[in-house]
Amino acid sequence: MKLVIGGYAQGKLDYVLAKYHLPETAVWDGAWPDGGCPLDEAVVINHFHQWVKRRMSEGGCPEKEVRLFLETYGNCIIISDEVGNGIVPIEPLEREYRERVGRILIDLAKEAEEVERVLCGIGQKIK
Amino acid sequence: MVLIIGGSGSGKSAYAEETVVSLAKKSASLEENILEMKKYYLAAMQVFDEEGKRRVKRHRELRSGKGFLTIEQPTEIHKALEQMEEGDRAALLECISNLTANEMFKEGEARPETQTAEQIVEGVKLLKENTTHLVVVSNNVFEDGVVYDEATMAYIRGMGIINQSLAKLSDQVVEVVAGIPIVLL
Repeated sequence: MKLVIGGYAQGKLDYVLAKYHLPETAVWDGAWPDGGCPLDEAVVINHFHQWVKRRMSEGGCPEKEVRLFLETYGNCIIISDEVGNGIVPIEPLEREYRERVGRILIDLAKEAEEVERVLCGIGQKIK
Repeated sequence: MVLIIGGSGSGKSAYAEETVVSLAKKSASLEENILEMKKYYLAAMQVFDEEGKRRVKRHRELRSGKGFLTIEQPTEIHKALEQMEEGDRAALLECISNLTANEMFKEGEARPETQTAEQIVEGVKLLKENTTHLVVVSNNVFEDGVVYDEATMAYIRGMGIINQSLAKLSDQVVEVVAGIPIVLL
């Protein structure tokens, strides 16, 4: 698994598609593939942070669920916004969201074979 | 052209000033007849009140010791060229976030971000083509995870497009963190 992080509107998806020569059909937007996706095809999870937020609001456990997905899609590329470099929000749910996204990204980064940070469309390998 | 990006208080302005000063010196020493290249500071900030006036005055004084001439150009940035002397010259544009806000919201209603971005990138291109050295300062406003109102999100997207386009035009892209320059390109 490869992890690509960066701020909003930094060109992360374009960067990934260009670097790995992938078609847009490989991209899952804020979601994981449903059962129909052949296992040998490239999988890009875009807006991963939105998936975390959605699962939180649906009462799911993104920390556990992401593990299960990785058992199946171990070669995927996960793209997530960095959401923690700002004022800590007053709203408890918003605080929890940032905290959980951050912790999950730490876990994913540990496991990832490569971590890149994208700023101004430029990738910087940080692991 | 050098693009410099950082958060607020990251030290990006001071680093940008140093960069212009050293670029201007290097080029000047190549040609003996030029003692020092003219250095221009293109200020995109709009002044609305006394506090703003004081800040601008203080910054002007800080820069004057380094030999910068200030041109206030809150919109249509390429027009700053009209106020520069002919010949070798270096310019520091500060900053893209102010310029983008001024261009996007100048007529009361917000203009589309793609149109605003295109116009600003064209303006910076003209500056690049008509100066010996150009240093552009931009802000990292993309990492707080807040979903703002649509006008603000459009503004942030606009800045994202501009930063990516300027990075492509640049010879060097530097992120400044805690005053430390990290070369991205």
